Amino acid sequence: MSEKLIEFKNVTMFYNDPEEAEAGENIAPALTDVSFSVEKGEFVAVLGHNGSGKSTLAKLCNAIYEPSSGTVSVKGIIADDDEKADEVRRIVGMVFQNPDNQIVATIVEDDVAFGPENLGVEPKEIRRRVDEALKAVNMYDHRHREPHKLSGGQKQRVAIAGVLAMQTECIVLDEPTAMLDPMGREEVMQTVHRMNKEMGITVVLITHFMDEAVKADRVVIMSGGRIVMQGKPREVFSKVEELRSYGLDVPQSTELCRNLGFGDGVLNVDECVELIAEKLGGAR
Amino acid sequence: MNYAIETIGLTHWYSKGTPQQVAAISDVNLQIKKGELVGIIGHTGSGKSTLISHFNGLLKPDSGKVLVNGVDIHKDKETLRNTRFKVGLCFQYPEYQLFEETVYKDIAFGPKNMKLSEEEIKQRVIRAASFVGVKNEHLNQSPFDLSGGEKRRVAIAGVMSMEPEILIFDEPAAGLDPKGRKDLIELIKEYRKQTGSTVIIVSHSMEDIASLVDRVIVINNSTVAMQGSVDEVFSRGEELRSMGLNVPEITEIFAKLRAKGIDVPTNVYTVEQGTEILRRLAAGRCAE
Amino acid sequence: MIRDITIGQYYPGKSLLHKIDPRMKLILTFAVIVVIFLCKNFFSLGVIAVTAVIASALSGVPAKMLLKSLKPIAVILLFTAILNVFYTQGGDVWLEWKFIKITEKGVFTAIFTMVRIISLVLISSLLTYTTTPTMLTDALERVLSPLKIFKIKVHTLAMMMTLALRFIPTLIEEIDRIMNAQKARGADLETGGIVQRAKALVPIFVPLMVSSFRRAYELAFAMTCRCYTGGEGRTRMKQMKLSGLDFFALFVCVAITAGIIVLNHFFEAVI
Repeated sequence: MSEKLIEFKNVTMFYNDPEEAEAGENIAPALTDVSFSVEKGEFVAVLGHNGSGKSTLAKLCNAIYEPSSGTVSVKGIIADDDEKADEVRRIVGMVFQNPDNQIVATIVEDDVAFGPENLGVEPKEIRRRVDEALKAVNMYDHRHREPHKLSGGQKQRVAIAGVLAMQTECIVLDEPTAMLDPMGREEVMQTVHRMNKEMGITVVLITHFMDEAVKADRVVIMSGGRIVMQGKPREVFSKVEELRSYGLDVPQSTELCRNLGFGDGVLNVDECVELIAEKLGGAR
Repeated sequence: MNYAIETIGLTHWYSKGTPQQVAAISDVNLQIKKGELVGIIGHTGSGKSTLISHFNGLLKPDSGKVLVNGVDIHKDKETLRNTRFKVGLCFQYPEYQLFEETVYKDIAFGPKNMKLSEEEIKQRVIRAASFVGVKNEHLNQSPFDLSGGEKRRVAIAGVMSMEPEILIFDEPAAGLDPKGRKDLIELIKEYRKQTGSTVIIVSHSMEDIASLVDRVIVINNSTVAMQGSVDEVFSRGEELRSMGLNVPEITEIFAKLRAKGIDVPTNVYTVEQGTEILRRLAAGRCAE
Repeated sequence: MIRDITIGQYYPGKSLLHKIDPRMKLILTFAVIVVIFLCKNFFSLGVIAVTAVIASALSGVPAKMLLKSLKPIAVILLFTAILNVFYTQGGDVWLEWKFIKITEKGVFTAIFTMVRIISLVLISSLLTYTTTPTMLTDALERVLSPLKIFKIKVHTLAMMMTLALRFIPTLIEEIDRIMNAQKARGADLETGGIVQRAKALVPIFVPLMVSSFRRAYELAFAMTCRCYTGGEGRTRMKQMKLSGLDFFALFVCVAITAGIIVLNHFFEAVI
């Protein structure tokens, strides 16, 4: 199992270019001494408040940024020149927050083809990959539509298909649902989980929605440019006070069971109902 | 008594006069009382954005009327213009409307358009800024140098500074992290408490709506599908789900407990309420 | 709804004209436009006019839509007709009143010019009616690709056009959103003199620029992530292949050109 796909070793990141820096960030580092790794096939959720450095972490994963110090390696490749950066991007794909700003073409299927076209894949093979990717995200019926006429959730699924068609081993999603309505969020999350379970694609999900993190294999909590907690969702979500001190919150199910003293680390409605029924039933 | 906002047979068409003509909202009849805190829910495309754009006259109804304080807002040009200041509308991602060189000037944009005196403008800017928690030293900074959350607050202050009688928020917490979200909801509560104004809030978060508002209006298929107290609306979970909506998580938990034969009420909308009920139940069972 | 805007005037269909390879269509349209200017008399121009009408009928685009594309040039048409009628003199005098003198040649020239302009507009609109902007951009890139040897970055130009097409609807939506937000703060965009109105645009323009830069920045990131490094080593999913139909279209156009040259030679020139 434990094949490391992405590995951060003592990574510190400063934004030197003031244009790239959000207010104040050019003074303090965006990341400080971050070491962490993602194993092949894993589903890792990275949680943190706005400005915690989680987005920087994402952009380091596929060589958009180079660390100020420390190393980021993907399958052992350290992207210190353009060629290696390209190699890294063939392994790690990325989906961004704003669905509008990552779709390049005026027709859905052309956009999905954009990545493989850049890689110089044979036309027939591109066609096959594009169709397969669109089917995988349930957007095949929309393949001839114009992206600006799609809903937010649909646009994000097109963006995911664009990465699938490149056949990367890992996909990093930087707050993919932040701008979506609940239905769109659901669509995207289902797609991401299916990719991980059925296609074995490694997933790094950056988010601040706690309910999206509960189904991950591992949760990483970031605050002030550092990794402050990590572990299985149940372990992490049992530390409610600590999470709150990092500007995060737990799902209502977790909070309820904790308030009642029935147990920490309850992750969803069904677990919560089971637990309460058992406790109350036991008291009868 | 006049209502703060009343709509009578309000209808608006998209692509009017073309074969693709569809109703964005049709025959909406609503009354919103003065001082009320109302939540509007509905899935994307249900027509709720079109609806609120009628409240301050940004859109003109194709048929029907919008009355603010009992007066038809499209009566004449003057009334329409004054409606913009009476009914403040804070759009989704309001930080994208910032444009001035300084935070002060940006917050002053609305009051300036109202043609108020310099002194009055200044007072209003300072009031609004301090209310949303923008520090005084930030007033002379460029709004573009602020962080995302601060920008949002400045933009909201820019609407509050007009001191409207009715304030409408469209998805005010969209894109914020949990703490930012919570703080903003608190801010809206506090605003309502201090000013006593009528507040309308559009949100996708059932939890926020349930903990915040007096009354819920559900928009579905371009018209009002349900309205009533939090209790009345969220007790109809199945119907809400069929409209692509939901109930708060805590409400779902209680509905499921009830289904398992545990004797709990189902009208629970906040975690505090839920905790209290279950504690009492547990204590009661231990005593038996 | 503003989201429904469509760029260009593509009319979906399955006609012969729709099926011609966009590259061929592009080249032939340009060729025919050149040929229109070669016409020297009513016989050769007649051939073009008939071709334009037949092509219109073949395209399956409703006549109403085709006439709509002529609407913007109505004024120009009228203007050139009047100019020609009054200023071109020669042949029989048909009407003379005070300083106005209308001659046979004037009327013929006016009619000739009008038919020429109408054919020109009709034929070029047929191109845009039967080809999507995306296909046109694609065709343009491929047709112009030989220019690479002159170090002209054809691919980059085509990419820019594609991105423009992709983002125009997004930006229109954005402008609408910003305008509404500022109007809600009492911005008055409708009244006042020129200076005042220009000033009133600042609250729209600044946020638009800010967001456009943000979009461009994010888009550049997204394209980099998808291994975009320019045209070098890129393949295309959609291959364009010339079919029998394309060669047939080419043949027809060559025949028309030959016919026009012959007709020009045998009949007297009008202009």
